[in-house]
Amino acid sequence: MTTPAQKPKAMIQDNTRCIGCRACMVACKSWNNRPADHTDFFAGPGYQNPRDLDANNYTLITFNEIVTGAKPDWVFGRQLCMHCDHPACASACPTTALTKTALGPVVFNQNRCIGCRACMQACPFLIPKYDYENLAPLIHKCTFCADRVEAGLKPACATVCPTAAISFGDRDEMVAEAKRRIASAPGTYIPEIYGLDEVGGTSVLHLSSVPFDQIGYITGLPKTPMPDLTHRWLRVTPHFFALLYAVFAGLTWITHRRSKKQHEGKTA
Amino acid sequence: MNWRIRLTWWDLTLLAVMAVGVVLAVVRYAGGIATVANINNAYPWGWWVGYGIMTMIAVGGVGFTITLLVEVFGVHRFHPLLRPAVLMALLCYSGAIIMLMVELGRPWMVWMILVSWAPTAALYEVGWCAFLYLSVLAFEFAQVPLEELGWGRVLRITRMIYMPLMLLGVTLSHLHQSSLGTLMTLIPHKIDVLWWSEQLPLLYLFSAMMAGPALAILEYLAAARWLGFEPRMEMLASLARIEAWLVGLFLAFQVGDLVSRGAVGAALSGGWLALSFWVEIGLGLLLPLVLLILPEVRQSRGGLATACALVLFGLLLHRLNVTVIGLRVRHWETYIPSLGEIGITLGITAGAMFVFGVLVRMLPIHEELTPAPASPRRAVAPAAALRGARGLS
Repeated sequence: MTTPAQKPKAMIQDNTRCIGCRACMVACKSWNNRPADHTDFFAGPGYQNPRDLDANNYTLITFNEIVTGAKPDWVFGRQLCMHCDHPACASACPTTALTKTALGPVVFNQNRCIGCRACMQACPFLIPKYDYENLAPLIHKCTFCADRVEAGLKPACATVCPTAAISFGDRDEMVAEAKRRIASAPGTYIPEIYGLDEVGGTSVLHLSSVPFDQIGYITGLPKTPMPDLTHRWLRVTPHFFALLYAVFAGLTWITHRRSKKQHEGKTA
Repeated sequence: MNWRIRLTWWDLTLLAVMAVGVVLAVVRYAGGIATVANINNAYPWGWWVGYGIMTMIAVGGVGFTITLLVEVFGVHRFHPLLRPAVLMALLCYSGAIIMLMVELGRPWMVWMILVSWAPTAALYEVGWCAFLYLSVLAFEFAQVPLEELGWGRVLRITRMIYMPLMLLGVTLSHLHQSSLGTLMTLIPHKIDVLWWSEQLPLLYLFSAMMAGPALAILEYLAAARWLGFEPRMEMLASLARIEAWLVGLFLAFQVGDLVSRGAVGAALSGGWLALSFWVEIGLGLLLPLVLLILPEVRQSRGGLATACALVLFGLLLHRLNVTVIGLRVRHWETYIPSLGEIGITLGITAGAMFVFGVLVRMLPIHEELTPAPASPRRAVAPAAALRGARGLS
């Protein structure tokens, strides 16, 4: 039984409402104690900074120059951990340092991390980052403000957005809300909720006015959970082990008996 | 046990390379991974994992393939290759563990794998299997110094448990060699279509089986040359025939898998990835296959060494293609291994070769250099497998 307070949460990132103020990025840094970086303009579009997520930036507003109608326009996108329902990162972690909590956040326990970076390799959204400069480096990614969510609060980013581009609530309500928005303004939204069933569903749902691949999202991901890919092999491992051991033991017994007989035949 | 070893220029060269690796490792521990390595957020593994772990473990497959042939299938003519194979495997796995200690961000936490329960993680299985198998290899090899030291009581116990442990080692190898491939099946969106396959676990297992005899032949030829014994060419030719089958079957499996996945188009398109694929297939599989099929090559030391070196090169390129070269992330991200990364792996490789060279001269590793002891009791006891006595049959 889940009481209403324990229902899985989700966030809507409505990119059509985003004005690129980056208040979410600032709030995120401030709640998660991330230091400021020295940033430079890179050879990319617009005023986006930094170029990608890193150990100090758990979320990022991307500035995408897209021609809408006759003139070029900025269309914003946002990168943050999607908090998958079936997280590939957690399934790849050999020490269960990453876990999916009942309320939705995929949380990182730094006391268990050995630094193998399998989660970074596994993540279909390229989210976990590492601080290679550190002598005791750690995995860094959006926490969904798990501590705040446990306490019944919204994630830090959701509290500061001036245009209500970030909504937070129970996942089923958020899904309904996202669908309602698309249905009520079909000219504004493309009819797609990014995260509804990507890799089996995520706790962050993105809406957009243009196709997601145009604003830097990774598209074409399977609709089934990524861990299934390895699970189908790993679940047969114990049987495989027992079978192989038995077969090899049997073969060894036969061949050794044969060579022993041959040997006795020679000496006799 | 022969303690009087004279170090040659070859030993000194290896020691020098090792020293460079040690210096680089010290820099890595003092300043962090970023001071020596180019691995980054987009390419978190790179050369260290592609070569230092994935290839090292695959090449370490020499232990279980030769053990399988000699002990399980009972092909006793390959017995002279068994001890060198076990020692090489032990050193390859030790090298991979040392690599891991450099490569992990928090190596002092590595024991956490052994107190976790993470059956969904391929690395968890690899970690456990490699740890257990390394212990088995150490146990198997320990027979040699124990015999030399003449610790009869300990030996009696180890010989009683040799069989079940040997079988455990062979079985564990099948598991973790394939699990390293399972690890990579998780990222179909990142690995280029030329290399990502649901069959990666089997591709990894079969290629490790293919690498084993190749390394065994190569080492035997090198030992014959530098330690000065006459190689049993008919034995090598016989193993080379098996090797030809292994290479041929792996080639057929890999190409068949590519065709069944409908990825032939990608292989025929121009571009660097297709080139890397064809180098892997052409130089690493097709050419050695042709060489190994020719009887005159199987009878020639140079020919065999070339073919086996090509097989190992193909294996290295396969592992690099899967874990590094074929990895597609954000278009602006690049990764080229740094000299520091390469230096540390060379240091580890040189270290393994140095220790091998020393032990091969200290202990009776190659039967050709040690007269087989004439003890009939040992010859029939299964646990005498690691002794030269079996070579009589």
